Amino acid sequence: MALRISALMLTTTLLLSGAALADDSAVGKDLKATIALQGMPCDQVVTAKQNGDSDYTAACKDGNRYHVFVNAQGRVIVQKL
Amino acid sequence: MCRLAIAGFLVVFSVSGCSAMKGSDAGAARETHPSLPPAPPSDTAPDREPVPAMAPVAAAPRPSTLPVSSAPSSNPAKPKPPTVARAAPAARPRVAQPKSPKPSVPPPQPTPPPASSPATSSTSAASTPPRSLPTLNLHDLEQRLRETRAIGVFAKLSLKNQVDDLLSAFRELYRVPNKRPPAELRQRYDLLLLKVLSLLQDSDPPLATAIASSKEAIWSILADPDKFSKI
Repeated sequence: MALRISALMLTTTLLLSGAALADDSAVGKDLKATIALQGMPCDQVVTAKQNGDSDYTAACKDGNRYHVFVNAQGRVIVQKL
Repeated sequence: MCRLAIAGFLVVFSVSGCSAMKGSDAGAARETHPSLPPAPPSDTAPDREPVPAMAPVAAAPRPSTLPVSSAPSSNPAKPKPPTVARAAPAARPRVAQPKSPKPSVPPPQPTPPPASSPATSSTSAASTPPRSLPTLNLHDLEQRLRETRAIGVFAKLSLKNQVDDLLSAFRELYRVPNKRPPAELRQRYDLLLLKVLSLLQDSDPPLATAIASSKEAIWSILADPDKFSKI
């Protein structure tokens, strides 16, 4: 019984972690595209820290760091940190 | 015992699924530290992964630092049907596709011999106008850009901001009668379309093709004050 429960918990954990990794990768791509759309350099987003709803701090592989957020007017703002 | 085997199978299945999803991303954990040497495959990997439409905005705030990478995933973008199939039948006439092997319309001949059909097809192909790809109207374009998963939420919103800025520039221009758009606005339009195409060309090639073929048609609407006022 305990073995069965642990197996089910492991399965659930693996499934959820796979989905979370895919979601993080999608966020990184979205942030990279957004930074590039604003004309700022970023070859690849390596870390993305979510500060709040529609508010991220992205670190690029080339060392640049950006604050990407949506302001009150609904505009996407990319600020170099 | 059978349930134990099923649970074991589920574990193996999920592990294989996760490894397929992140298969080429062996250095994802290392990428959280920019000082570490990057993994070579992820440097040249193209961005082919579709982005979930509402993922970043709908997600709950997570204060932790998340590792991200650009490795391709196992769920590529679903190819969308061509727009001519979704457009209203009376909206625009269908035009012949250039890559269809069949000749479009042979010239009227009483009894065409079979041996001369390649020659007639080549002449008809040469006489067809170069504008043969289907074009999108503005509503189709907006709808398909909203629906595509090739662009993330942030990027879509950023693109929308830039489109709104361009439209505002046109509105400002057309406040004065008999004004024609300057070359600067055409450059902004071209640049914006290039941005859209660069975002779409890997993950949603049908939409990228449709937008590229609609470039001049959309500009003709923007550059005409009468057509622009009806948008």
